[in-house]
Amino acid sequence: MELMHHRDCRNFAAVDVAKGICHRTKNMVPADGDQCEECVATPKCKGCRNFTADKVRVELGVCEASTATPKFFAYPDMVALTCEMFREQ
Amino acid sequence: MPKKLKEVLADAGVSMENEAGGHAPKSLTDREVKMAPHPRVEKLRDVFMQTLSSANNEFPYWYTREYFQHDNEIPVVRRAMALKAAFSHSTPVIFPGELLVMHKAPFFRGSFPMPWLSEGFYMAKEDELYQDALKRGATSVDEHSKFGQGGGNVVKSFGKVVSIAGKFGMRQEEVPGLLEVARMWVGKSVDDLGHKYEQMVPGYETKEAIMRNVVCMFDSGFTLPQGREVINYFYPLSLGFDGIINLAKEMKAKVAGRADGDGLTGMNRLYNYEAVILATEGLQAWVRNYAKEARRLESIEKDAVQKAEYKGIAERLEWLEHNSPRTFIEAFQMIETMHLAVLNEDAISGMSPGRIAQILFPWFDQDIKAGRITEDEVIELLELDRVVKTSIDCFASMGVVGGVLSGNTFNTVSCGGLQKNGNHACNRLEYLLLEAGMRNVMPQSTLAVLYDEKLPEDYLLLATECIKTGGGYPAFMNNQVGMEFLKHHYGPEGMDIEDARAWAIGGCLETSGCTWKPITLNGTTYWIPGGAGQPTSVGVHFISMPKVLELTLWDGVDQRTGERVFKAHGKKLATFDELWAQYKLYWQEAVHVLDLTNNIQHDVWRKNNMAVINSYMKPDCLDKGHLINELGYRYNATYNVESAGTITTINSMAALKKIVYDDKKVSLDEYRVALKDNFGFKTAKEVNSFSLADQEKREDGPGKWDKLHFMALQAPKYGNDDAYVDNILLDWENFFCKDCYNYESLNAKPLYACQISVSTHGAMGSATIATADGRLAGTTFADASMSAFPGTDRNGPYALLNSASIWDHSMSQNSQLNIKIHPTAIQGEEGARKLLDLTRAYMRKGGFHVQYNIVDSKVLKDAQKNPQNYRDLMVRVAGFTQYWVEIGKPVQDELIARTEYEGV
Repeated sequence: MELMHHRDCRNFAAVDVAKGICHRTKNMVPADGDQCEECVATPKCKGCRNFTADKVRVELGVCEASTATPKFFAYPDMVALTCEMFREQ
Repeated sequence: MPKKLKEVLADAGVSMENEAGGHAPKSLTDREVKMAPHPRVEKLRDVFMQTLSSANNEFPYWYTREYFQHDNEIPVVRRAMALKAAFSHSTPVIFPGELLVMHKAPFFRGSFPMPWLSEGFYMAKEDELYQDALKRGATSVDEHSKFGQGGGNVVKSFGKVVSIAGKFGMRQEEVPGLLEVARMWVGKSVDDLGHKYEQMVPGYETKEAIMRNVVCMFDSGFTLPQGREVINYFYPLSLGFDGIINLAKEMKAKVAGRADGDGLTGMNRLYNYEAVILATEGLQAWVRNYAKEARRLESIEKDAVQKAEYKGIAERLEWLEHNSPRTFIEAFQMIETMHLAVLNEDAISGMSPGRIAQILFPWFDQDIKAGRITEDEVIELLELDRVVKTSIDCFASMGVVGGVLSGNTFNTVSCGGLQKNGNHACNRLEYLLLEAGMRNVMPQSTLAVLYDEKLPEDYLLLATECIKTGGGYPAFMNNQVGMEFLKHHYGPEGMDIEDARAWAIGGCLETSGCTWKPITLNGTTYWIPGGAGQPTSVGVHFISMPKVLELTLWDGVDQRTGERVFKAHGKKLATFDELWAQYKLYWQEAVHVLDLTNNIQHDVWRKNNMAVINSYMKPDCLDKGHLINELGYRYNATYNVESAGTITTINSMAALKKIVYDDKKVSLDEYRVALKDNFGFKTAKEVNSFSLADQEKREDGPGKWDKLHFMALQAPKYGNDDAYVDNILLDWENFFCKDCYNYESLNAKPLYACQISVSTHGAMGSATIATADGRLAGTTFADASMSAFPGTDRNGPYALLNSASIWDHSMSQNSQLNIKIHPTAIQGEEGARKLLDLTRAYMRKGGFHVQYNIVDSKVLKDAQKNPQNYRDLMVRVAGFTQYWVEIGKPVQDELIARTEYEGV
């Protein structure tokens, strides 16, 4: 999974939607700031083998692990840290 | 340049300055008492000060995903399954320096929408539901509600952050998912289902007209179905999660398949206990995930002190995942966890922790005696609790969060009062609680002293010192008056003197029924108080009294919109008695139809979205096997009728009585024309000030209404110990408080009166034309229910207290009196004593509540001009304290205008 921003990092504690505290440096960093070298990926749906992105509405997709009919939707940016169905790509 | 009202009056020799009893120093005066919090608290407070209200879609996603997988499940079990999934999948977030951990959502100040209550709000601009919402009238209040433009409010979208309702920020990436979830609840939410059935109530069109014209502020059924109540931490503290699950399993075996004489709900007990187990398992998973995160942070942390703290957090959570707490800090963590859990279960404003210094006392007592903790460490934890509570946001509609609550969530802590045996309850921890409030001055938890003559003098003086910090707390509530109300109202449900002594404030100043439970810790038994009543945020909320008077004067037609609200009464209103009688008839019509429609909304809520976690924590749900929806609580007569604009109405009635009926200076017809013409002034919106004194005359106005306006302003005003007007208040209270008992809640219990304004005096004033007391269109009403209209109480604070205490406050759940005092008026020990004497005088007269803003009005004016310099300035609004910059302009204007006493 390609890391892009601080908010994709496991050590980013989101203070709010715009910024967070880096557990490594203890500094306040912007959520959309570029990743650093010590970044550790936070599991998100977009990095899960069970996630299939919608071909038209790319901001949405399907969780293939869903047992509902039809399968329940998911979206790429959702944090999957606590998801027992997460399978890293 | 158009003249402002205060200039017009100055020309006539009448001052509209807000100073009373002397003059304030010309320079800005700061607060007298200033203390610093512990360093770690200061750091976390600094983080809070930079934090934006943030929302995400995680909880709603997992809740909805699970809910719709169990179509035919028993509703309470289905709800618990959804809650379990949502809690189990909540992402943990821990910040450096925290000792008390866990958050509502994975942000420092996070929250999330609950589309199962109402989905239309989130989809408003995305979906045709917006038009439907307009027709329903629910958006009318939003148009009159204003958030503060600073602080943590996300008033505008920026970057990849989308502003929702001018308050919450949501990541752009989350919005499509939110809308997807919200769509699934269309036609199924409490809002939609309630709307479907409430339309079957005869007179429903009147209800819709009432909402559209802001005669009533909001529907409580789908906006804030719970709250303004006192939580009960007893079961988690005494049994722990495993103990609760084991108890529920034992009870399941006892009730499975048995009606036990109750053919209607007896069988439901099995499903209820199953729901208790499922929801508790969800909480265990939530705690477990936080414990894992603490362990991970411990593993990567290089700083030895921080590493040890993460280890301590992990150990505490790992223990609490299964067991009851052993130490003070474990007990504190447990109540933080349960508090946040309940706030995540439902949209709640005003979930009060109750009397935490008495609840936590067993662990404090034993830890202190054993040397496991110092008083300084206890104060630090109490200070940290203030960061936790201030960081709680409630995600509800703009009209409710902005117009009613000013963004506050009212996690009021009560202190003082009596023990079960009738002795005063001021233990050592009570003193430390006040000290923590002085050291870490943040809006929450605001403090409420349950004033009783038995409270120690040094404790009361410490409370007055605390007020001098300018935090707006503690407020004083009359313990005996509160108990009297409870015994009367809940007597039929078994309230006795001992349970009455357990009471606490729920929300900002709602007297709430509580009870005692015994905690046995290491062989010693302590009786701790906790909530035992249903929410009091429910019922008819809030009816604008000045608007009802406007409708009375104009035969049922709203003069701002031109819409008919009530059927024409057709009366000439030839006498004051006829006017007063018709006013009461319209009032009753409004309460009647709102009661019926609210009952339906709440019934839909309790059928599909009933509380499970909050419910099972309260006596006697676990004993009986019935949750809130089956009246498992000990006290269920909690629905109320809330009024707004009391004093504006009383003053208006007095003016009409004096000018039209007694002195016959002008006819009622002429008076009506003057009101409609706003006495020749511009509207508040045109002037962009909501304070009466700042209103400007229209340049086209020939001044034909000047004389009448002057008479209206000079007519007898409440707050001056003047029987002419105070007797009208007395008559109103005797009618209103008793009339509430004519209506029945869905729990088949009578309603009662609740008299707080919160921030409704701003929003509802905005929707109301000029009133007969001389108030101009769009300006705020007098705040609270017992506060004088700004600048009209000219005979000193003791005269105000006499006016306020003319009626029996124990007939009502509460009353509310706010007084603004300049800091120099209560300086030093002598000043503290004067403030206590003032408070004591009111309590002895039978007043229920008084709270103080110790602030220089010039500071507030400067803060309005230069908000960037005042991020941490706090003010007491009406039952709560809030950051100045997070309050909307109408209420800011009203706060500036309030009478400022220069001496007491």
